[in-house]
Amino acid sequence: MGKIIGIDLGTTNSCVAIMEAGKPKVISSAEGGNLIPSVVEPAKGLVGDLAKRQMVLNPKNTIYSIKRLMGRRYKDKEIEKTKTMVPYEIVSGKDNMAAVKIGGKVYTPQEISAKILQKAKADAEAFLGEEVKEAVVTVPAYFDDSQRQATKQAGEIAGLEVKRIINEPTAAALAYGLDKKHNQTIAIYDLGGGTFDISILEIGDGVFEVKATNGDTFLGGDDFDRKIVEWLVEEFKKSEGIDLSKDLQAMQRIREAAEKAKVELSTVAETDINLPFLVQRDNKALHLEKKLTRSKLEQMTDELIERSMKPVEACMKDAKLKPADIDEVILVGGQTRMPKVQKRVSGYFGKEPNKSVNPDEVVAVGAAIQGAVLGGEVRDVLLLDVTPLTLGIETLGQVRTPLIERNTTVPTKKSQIFSTAADNQTQVEINVLQGERPMAADNKSLGRFVLDGIPSAPRGMPQIEVTFDIDSNGILNVSAQDKATGKEQKISIQNATNLSNEEVEKMKEEAEKHAAEDEEKKAKVESKNNLDNAVFGAEKMLTDLKDKLEDKDKEELEKAVKESKELLGKEEAGKEEHEEKTQSLSALTQSIGSKIHQAAQSAQSPQGETEEEGKKEKKKNGEETKEQAEEGEIVN
Amino acid sequence: MSKKLKVRVTDLEEQLKRAVADYHNLESRVEKEIGNFKRSSLLSLVDKLLGVLDDLQRAENNLKDRGLTMAVNQFQEVLASEGIEEIKTDGVNFDPQAMDCVEMGKGKKNIIVKTLLKGYTLNGQVVRPAKVRVGQGGEK
Repeated sequence: MGKIIGIDLGTTNSCVAIMEAGKPKVISSAEGGNLIPSVVEPAKGLVGDLAKRQMVLNPKNTIYSIKRLMGRRYKDKEIEKTKTMVPYEIVSGKDNMAAVKIGGKVYTPQEISAKILQKAKADAEAFLGEEVKEAVVTVPAYFDDSQRQATKQAGEIAGLEVKRIINEPTAAALAYGLDKKHNQTIAIYDLGGGTFDISILEIGDGVFEVKATNGDTFLGGDDFDRKIVEWLVEEFKKSEGIDLSKDLQAMQRIREAAEKAKVELSTVAETDINLPFLVQRDNKALHLEKKLTRSKLEQMTDELIERSMKPVEACMKDAKLKPADIDEVILVGGQTRMPKVQKRVSGYFGKEPNKSVNPDEVVAVGAAIQGAVLGGEVRDVLLLDVTPLTLGIETLGQVRTPLIERNTTVPTKKSQIFSTAADNQTQVEINVLQGERPMAADNKSLGRFVLDGIPSAPRGMPQIEVTFDIDSNGILNVSAQDKATGKEQKISIQNATNLSNEEVEKMKEEAEKHAAEDEEKKAKVESKNNLDNAVFGAEKMLTDLKDKLEDKDKEELEKAVKESKELLGKEEAGKEEHEEKTQSLSALTQSIGSKIHQAAQSAQSPQGETEEEGKKEKKKNGEETKEQAEEGEIVN
Repeated sequence: MSKKLKVRVTDLEEQLKRAVADYHNLESRVEKEIGNFKRSSLLSLVDKLLGVLDDLQRAENNLKDRGLTMAVNQFQEVLASEGIEEIKTDGVNFDPQAMDCVEMGKGKKNIIVKTLLKGYTLNGQVVRPAKVRVGQGGEK
C-alpha cells in the first residue's frame, strides 16, 4: 500500500509532508524550497515558483489566492472584495459558483487548486520513488461544507483520493502530539503570508472540536514587509529628497531588502540595510544605508500585531472562555517567528506558546500524521527501543570509555580492542558501566568479570576485544576475548535499557551539573596516562637500545625518566605539569631516536621502536574500530 | 506448527524483509541527501556572494574604475571555475525556468528588453533566476 501524503493547501503557499518510519518529513519541491507558491498559470500549465515568476508578464492569466474562491458563490461578499484585488477575471460559473476566466475558457477553483495538488503529488512521488494515490488535505476551520466539498473535488481532479479533509488548527495540534492529551483547550494563532486565523479547539479522547474561530482574511506577513518598505522610502525622501516609490527597479530592491531585514530581526537585535547605487542624481550615484533595530520594527508593526488581537478577543468571547482557560497555545505561519508576536500572544494567554515545529510546515506535518494514522502505518512501524544512557567500560585511571552511546537504537552491537596497562599482566577486569559521567566511579556499575589466562607480554601488546551486544529485549551481553588465545569471558545483564524516566533524567541532570569538573578530572587522568606512556617508551628505549645509546644521552634519559616517575607519584601534581613533562620527555626520546635511526640507516641495521606503545589498528567486519587500542584494566 | 504460529512467522518474515529493505533504501537516500545537502549549502553561500557581486558590478558601472573592473572579473572567474554561469537573457524569449519577470516595457512581445539583475546557474541548475524586463509588444 502506498503512502498517504499530507497537504497544506494554503492561500499564499502550499506545503506537502509524509510520514516515514514514524517521523514526519517535509518534501522539497523540484525548485528546491519546502513551500510551493499557490500560483497557477493554467493555459501554459505553470505552477508554483515558475507561475509566480511570470505573473507580471501575464497578470490576467495567472491565478493566485484561488483559495479565497473555493466553494463560494459569485455573489458572496468575499468574492466582491477579492475581485477588486486580483488582476484576473472572476466570473459566475455553473450553479452561480465563482470561477475564473482565462483566454475565453472558464476554470473552476477546483481545477486551479488541482494543479497545485498535482504538483505536490509529483514532488512527493519524485521523493518517494513510487506512485502516490491518497492524501489528507487541510482547510481553514471556518470552511463550510461546500468549500470542503470543493477541496475534496480538487484532490480528485489531481488524481488523489482525499482520505480526509482536516482543519488546519487540528493539523497543527496533531503535529504537536496534543491529541494524546485529554480534555485540553487549545488556541491556534496562525499568521501567514496574507491571512490571519485564530481557532479554539477542544480535545477529548482524541476527538477535536472547534469551539470558535475568527480571523482577518487580509492581514499577514506581507503587511509587515510593507511597513518597512514605507519607512525606507520615507527616510530616503527625507535625506535625499527623492521619491523612490515611482522607481520600479529601486522598489524591487527595497522590497527584497525589507523582507530580508525582517527575517534577520527575528534572530538579531539590529541589522544594516545597504543598497549601494540605488538611484542616480545629477550623474552621481546615491546609496541607501539604514540601520534598523528590532525595537524600531516593533514600533512600526505594533498596529498590525494589535489588529490580530481583536479577532483573538472576539474568538475567546464566542468560545465563552477566559485566557486562563487555555491549556496550550500553538503558533502557525512564518510571521509568528517575530519575537514581538510571540511575546504578545504569550502575554495575552499567560503561557509560552508551542513553537518548536517549523511554523511554515506545521500544518502539512499534522496532515501527514493524520495520513499515517488512516493508512494504518503506525502498525507497520516496528517500535524500537533506544538505550537511555551510555554504556561503556572502565579503563586505565578509572576513566569511563563509552562503547554504546546514549540514544542508540537497539538491537545493536559494538566491539573495540583494548590492551593491558602493565607488563606481564595476565588478566583484565571488565567493569560494565552505565551513565553519562566521564569518570568510572560516578557511573552505575552493571556488573564486572575477569578475563584471565592472558599470556605474559609487554603492556599494550595483548589484544582484547570487548563486545557489547544489546538484543531487542534489552538484554546486554558483554564479552571479552583475548585475540591471541581465543579465550573468552562474558556476562549477561538483564534490562540494561529498562530504566524509569526519573532515573534517566536524574542521571542526565547530574552529568550536566558535573560536566566541567568531570572533564577536568578526566583530563588530569589522561595527562597522567600520557606521561606514564612516555615513561614506558623511554624505559623501553633504555633497555632495547642500551648498546646503541651514547653515554650522555643515556644519562639524560635516565634522569628524565626518574623525574617523570617522581611526578607521577605526586598526587597533587596538575595536568599542566604532566603535559609539560610528557612533552619534554617525548622530545628527548625522539631526538635520541632519530640520532640512532640515522646511525642505523648508514649501517643498515634494524632498530628498536621508539614510538609510544599501545597503538594498534584493527579491522573488524570491514569496519574500522577505534584507531588506537586503549590501555585496559589494571587488575587487583 | 500451529496455524497461528505460521501466521506469526510469515508476519515476522515480512517485517524483517521490510526492515532490511528500509535500511537499504535509507542507505541510498542518505547518499542522495548528502549530495543535496552539499549542493544546498553551496547554493546558500553562492547566493549570498552573488548579492555582493551585484553591488560590485553596480559600483563598476558607476565608477568606471579599471582596478575595480579587474577585481570584479577575478571574482567572476572564481565563480565560473566552480561551475557558476550567468544566465543569458539578452534578446531571448522569456523563460520562467530561469527568469523572473519584474516589469514590462517597450519592445517585442515576450522578448527580454533589459536584465535588471543577472541570474546564475550552478552546473546547469538555477541558483537565482534573472530579474528581467519583458517586451509588451504592440508598438512595432
